[in-house]
Amino acid sequence: MVLTLLGAGATGAVIGLIVLRGGFYDISATESHYPLIYTVFEEGLQYSIQNHAKDIAVPALGAPEQLLRGAALYRANCLQCHGGPGVAPSKHGMSMQPVPGPLVDADINWETRELYWITRHGIKMSGMPAWEYHLSDSDLWAVVAFVAAMPVMTPADFKGMTAEQAGVDAVPPKVQQSARASSEREGS
Amino acid sequence: MNRSCLAMVLTAAVLLAGCGSDRPPPGVQGDPQRGKIALTQYACHSCHVVPSVAGSQVYVGRPLNDLSTRRYIAGKVPNNQANLVRFIRDPQSLDPGNAMPTLGVSERDALDISAYLLSK
Repeated sequence: MVLTLLGAGATGAVIGLIVLRGGFYDISATESHYPLIYTVFEEGLQYSIQNHAKDIAVPALGAPEQLLRGAALYRANCLQCHGGPGVAPSKHGMSMQPVPGPLVDADINWETRELYWITRHGIKMSGMPAWEYHLSDSDLWAVVAFVAAMPVMTPADFKGMTAEQAGVDAVPPKVQQSARASSEREGS
Repeated sequence: MNRSCLAMVLTAAVLLAGCGSDRPPPGVQGDPQRGKIALTQYACHSCHVVPSVAGSQVYVGRPLNDLSTRRYIAGKVPNNQANLVRFIRDPQSLDPGNAMPTLGVSERDALDISAYLLSK
């Protein structure tokens, strides 16, 4: 029994090594995953995020100025891959594998605290970057507030809110840099 | 356990379906197999469930499993390949205000995508 198991394990390892070193696995982004593999990865992703986000406390969200700030940040950083109601992602977002999902249905799949965790930490091997070191905490929550509000938006609402002139400039580098510098000074 | 069994059966079904000939119905132009890949390059499956294409259970757009039998596109125009190509390339022209954006699909890609969807 033990020998059989060891033999099966060794055979599996050899086959795995041959596939790996032979370069037989097709890594191209035009080749879809097998549906089963995709489903297993996706379930693992959901359980991981549910577990890691469970202790996050969600502040009050949805003040008009916060939504406008979130909309501007979304336009600058998220729209390229996720698109929005009536707005297509850019070409690189469309042809990624796995494809970045739309976010108008994010409230069906995720709790608000989980959206915050995903935005802050990103998702390994999915193309979703981590924003923790690029956006302040209040900006992270502003993006989450905007995404949480998206399901009730019409395409016209969405386009209006994410229009160039709608909110404050998304990434005013000088302001952000000076804000970061001052917060670092306060911290030290 | 039941779920993984179901997934395995589904996978087997998908693999078997891949072995069968996926000829489009008579009169349909384009290359269905090329269309199957092309549709993933325009992120169709990010909003629609597409038959035999791996993706999430997403219902932002309606599932695309019944285009060979559906009567209307967007509930507005008769379902034929010319209208389907037009809708894929410029949904707003057939249904203004529809949440589906224009994705920059070329004529050839739209033809092949429609051939795939109409052969399912």
